[in-house]
Amino acid sequence: MPSAFLGVLVLNPASSLDSMLDSMLVLAATPATVAKAPIIAGDPLALLVPALPILGLILCTLCAIFRVKSKLPAFLTVACLAGAFVVTAKLFTGHDGGVSIASGFQWMTLSWGEEPGQRFIADFSLYLDSLTILWMLFVTGLATLIALYASEYMSHDVGLGYCRFFAAFNLFVFSMACLVMGDNLLLLFLGWEGVGLCSYLLIGYFYKKPSAVAAAKKAFIMNRIGDVGLILGVMLTFVHFGSIEYREIFAAAQPYIDLAKAGKFSEIPAIVQLIPILLAVGAFGKSAQLPLYVWLPDAMEGPTPVSALIHAATMVTAGVYLVARTYPLFLLSEYALPIVAWTGALTALVAATIGMAQFDIKRIMAYSTVSQLGYMFAGLGVLTSTGAAFHVVTHAFFKALLFLSCGAIMHGFAGQLDLRKLSGVGFMKGWGVVGLGMFVGCMNLAGFPFTAGYFSKDMILAEAFVTPGMAPIGWILLLTAGLTAYYTFRVFFRVVVGPMHYEPGDELHHAEEDSHGHDHHGASEADAAHAADAAHGHAHTHDDHAHHEHGHGAHFHPHAPGWAINTVLATLSVASIAAAGLYFVKSPYEGGMAHGGAVPGMVERSSAAFETPFSHHGVGESHETIKEGGHEGADGHAPAHAEGGAPSFVPTSIAKSQGEAAHAGSFLGWDPHKVMYYVSGVVGFVGIFIAFILHYAGRRTAATARADALLPAFGPLAGWAQNKWYVDELYDLVVRTPLWIVANIFHLFDKIVIDGLVRLVGGIPRFIGGMVRPTQSGELHGYAAGMAAGVAVLLFLVFMLTMR
Amino acid sequence: MMTTLAQAGFPAAMHQITLAHYLFISGAMFMLGLIGFLTRRNLIIMFLCTELMFQAAGLALVAFSRFHMNMTGQSFVIFIVTVAAAEAAMALALVVLLFRKRESLDAAEWQEMKG
Amino acid sequence: MDQVINPLALYGACALGAIGVLLALPRRDGKNPQILGAVVASLAGGIVLLAMGLKAGGLFGIGYSPSVYFYVFALMALGASLRVITHPQPVYAALYFVLSILATAGLFLILSAEFMAFALVIVYAGAILITYLFVIMLATQAPTEDLENALTEYDTAAREPVIATASGFVLLAVLSTLMFRGVGELPKAPAVNGQALLAEMPRKIEAALLAAGTLPGGAKVTFNSDGDAKVDFAARTVEIKLADGATKTVPLPKDLSVTNTEMVGFNLLRDHPGSIEIAGVILLMAMLGAVVLSRKQVQMDEDAKERHSKLLSAELAQGAETNP
Repeated sequence: MPSAFLGVLVLNPASSLDSMLDSMLVLAATPATVAKAPIIAGDPLALLVPALPILGLILCTLCAIFRVKSKLPAFLTVACLAGAFVVTAKLFTGHDGGVSIASGFQWMTLSWGEEPGQRFIADFSLYLDSLTILWMLFVTGLATLIALYASEYMSHDVGLGYCRFFAAFNLFVFSMACLVMGDNLLLLFLGWEGVGLCSYLLIGYFYKKPSAVAAAKKAFIMNRIGDVGLILGVMLTFVHFGSIEYREIFAAAQPYIDLAKAGKFSEIPAIVQLIPILLAVGAFGKSAQLPLYVWLPDAMEGPTPVSALIHAATMVTAGVYLVARTYPLFLLSEYALPIVAWTGALTALVAATIGMAQFDIKRIMAYSTVSQLGYMFAGLGVLTSTGAAFHVVTHAFFKALLFLSCGAIMHGFAGQLDLRKLSGVGFMKGWGVVGLGMFVGCMNLAGFPFTAGYFSKDMILAEAFVTPGMAPIGWILLLTAGLTAYYTFRVFFRVVVGPMHYEPGDELHHAEEDSHGHDHHGASEADAAHAADAAHGHAHTHDDHAHHEHGHGAHFHPHAPGWAINTVLATLSVASIAAAGLYFVKSPYEGGMAHGGAVPGMVERSSAAFETPFSHHGVGESHETIKEGGHEGADGHAPAHAEGGAPSFVPTSIAKSQGEAAHAGSFLGWDPHKVMYYVSGVVGFVGIFIAFILHYAGRRTAATARADALLPAFGPLAGWAQNKWYVDELYDLVVRTPLWIVANIFHLFDKIVIDGLVRLVGGIPRFIGGMVRPTQSGELHGYAAGMAAGVAVLLFLVFMLTMR
Repeated sequence: MMTTLAQAGFPAAMHQITLAHYLFISGAMFMLGLIGFLTRRNLIIMFLCTELMFQAAGLALVAFSRFHMNMTGQSFVIFIVTVAAAEAAMALALVVLLFRKRESLDAAEWQEMKG
Repeated sequence: MDQVINPLALYGACALGAIGVLLALPRRDGKNPQILGAVVASLAGGIVLLAMGLKAGGLFGIGYSPSVYFYVFALMALGASLRVITHPQPVYAALYFVLSILATAGLFLILSAEFMAFALVIVYAGAILITYLFVIMLATQAPTEDLENALTEYDTAAREPVIATASGFVLLAVLSTLMFRGVGELPKAPAVNGQALLAEMPRKIEAALLAAGTLPGGAKVTFNSDGDAKVDFAARTVEIKLADGATKTVPLPKDLSVTNTEMVGFNLLRDHPGSIEIAGVILLMAMLGAVVLSRKQVQMDEDAKERHSKLLSAELAQGAETNP
């Protein structure tokens, strides 16, 4: 371990720290075990986790170079990712709950002086704690499954496109590993941009389709806006804390945390309070929160496995990870966590309302993803990082399941995604697994009692009511839960059950295939564009496309998913169901912190836990300490939502005893922890029931349902929701149009003033040239005479000058 | 038989004919060639006039060679003759081409380089 | 050194010459007083030559003097040059040019540059001027009966004669002034001892000794380590090796000297070998260029091209069959 003592407690000597804080630091540093302890060397095996996807990337590139025309890249990818998963699982079993660092290599080391603040170190080292391992477990696991799924899903594109897809897929997993496992913010940023790049590449996979290209650009640009916040946050972190390595940041932030616990926010420098807000902006961009969420629904232009992995399960949770990882910093600002909470809650509500009115099932899933991400942020904001992390895990499984099921339907029905044109799919021959997958996924998403989604959502809801001042968020989230149940089962009742009926998606699928740029297809842009135009379910037949396996119109037969897709769907269904069990399993670590199930138990051991190892158990005035006190009263050691592995609620006695907090910490007078199980369950039931009435009962055709009759009752609201509240148009008006106007003004300025100057500079010689042009007669004699006369004049000058 | 250089000695061979005499002849010939080049419009005559100017230069070189008792001046005349021959070959080929194009040898016919 | 010619006389002669040339130049109206012009120009040239001759003092001197030839050749050269630039008919102009070359060759002879004189006659008068004449024949319209009408407009009319003549004679006047004033002050370059080349030509010495009968049978001129003959220039003797191996010193023949051609040859090939090569390359390129330029360009339409290519390929195929 060459760098064992490298990072021991580097304190920022920034001038803003006065002597008082210095003395506090000494006091505070005593219990801060992470800061004091020498670095524990992590299992070097961990380096395999990012290394294996890179190997996969290289292999896929080689496949592309050698023009492999088989499914080889897919299976290489699956093998590499499965290897990464196995390594992660081994890390998990060998992990003791502490923090260790697996050193890779020196990446960036800049030094411009001997002082501690004059060093910039960013090694390629992996920060191994329970949060990292939790995240990598589901990232690698899901990536493996989805790669297997994609091997069948992308099979129409075997060849260069196939290699390109899986190369980007591998690169994505590598980037995600850097993001999650990096031991410093710069490595996180590398992964952050890496996943953004892969997202761009994979959304734009069908690069001949204009809408896909536009969506890719939109996602990239929207992410850049957030990234500005992130990079500024990282810079400020370095400037202020003198390091970007987590353990040193946390150690350096410790005095501020103590101040925050004492409620003395005014003594914390404003610049420190700004850091978490900037980081949150980055997180909002990556995790598609208000106001930067508009790229995610458009990102559904990418292939479905991409939507499932990147835009539902893993990448979009990077924002949640960032907040969870830097949670100690978020405690430093009075406003950071409320901002996170309110943004999350409003996003959840807005996305849910939009999702209710959409007809494209993949887009509904996209909006539900945005909505659920809002839940997670709200959870972080209301101080239940554990609940948020649990929701991330459960959501990853059931949303991936839902997306993959939708993808199977889309694959089988030639690109049909309109829920008015599909019905009873679950009962068709060969579609049982898909129907079952949809059912399990919908149950989870709707928060049906005793599903994983139910438990995780519940933790957030309860915590929202417990945390003082956050009750409105709780109500918003509760309403959203109902809406979620409704729109989820709207899809289920319309598509999976009911009378069997379908209209194939006509040429959309064909367009996708053609737009891959296969040489042998000879597909032209016009062909693809025409196909896209015709992709509205009009079953007209084109002779030139008649050879296509999917056929058209009357000849269309949906082809049921094959073994790979069915295996993956079944596995994910089982995993989604089993995820509920996590709630009842004890924390994998010893030490008595096992409450609320395995996942919160893991998170509690990391920096994401509100009760971080950096805090100490004082009772203060701030709302954080109130809540902490509540847990402390119950357990004496650590906070808990449940005790002894089973759900049982601990009254937040201290919280209640605090004057104004007593009201906030209750749900209509009951204990939120206890009652929320029933309330959220009932809300979920109500949503499902409404969906049943409106979209299933008595429905005879695919296109019509009882809900249509209700639409006029909502007036223009329904139309607005269907048009996504005109947010895109609003952005267009507020951002794009003024920019366009300004750009045009500058364009005119450029044309008239700048170009004018250039023209003037060019014009002067041109004018002079025009004046002297007649001397260039083009006649031989003219030139000769000029030369002779010149020589005569020169000689005459010499003559005059040498005259004595 | 002409007396050889060695026997004649310097400046006896020139008697009172000095270098300046030759240079004046050379200058006058050059000037006549120049005037011809400037005034005549027939391309062939213009080239003849350039040859005249070559002659003048050659005369000056040989006179200097004699004046300095150095053979390099005469060697240079050989090169002048060489270049003149090459120039004559090329220029006359061009003249033939141009004549084929316009059926005229007037230098004023070609003014494509006009500014 | 005082001036060769009075500056005022020089300028006056230049002005006179200019008027003469101006008059002699061909005119569009056909009424050109060429004869008068030639006379005036000759008068000017005569004045200058006379002035220079008076200075030289050799014109009326008694006895053999090459200066008479100088004046003859100089007048010939200038007069012929004047006719070259004033004669309206290109053929005659070319012939007058031959005359001027011959006169120049004469001047070269006076300057004891025999090789250059003959080379000039051979190359210029013999080769280049013939080429000119060919081209003149090629590139002039078919002559008609009427000689005046046969002349083209561009041959009969001079272009901007006044300006050209003025600038030309101003040039000459200034140049002459500078020449006549500066020549005497020119530092003399060290003379090259041309006779030293004799040592490098032992075969020539042997031949001369043999002709003079002073070389015994079987004797050879001895060489030093550079391969030069052991010549004693002061005593005009050379060392020879007899047949029995003994060395002996014999006097050089009286008329043995290095000729101008030999000196030019040594200068060219020993001192400027690279320049010789370059001159050769220039000549080669000029030849290639002339060949390419004067090649007859055949205009073919597309059909003809196709036909020719078919014909060519058929021939090739046939060739391939017969030529396995």
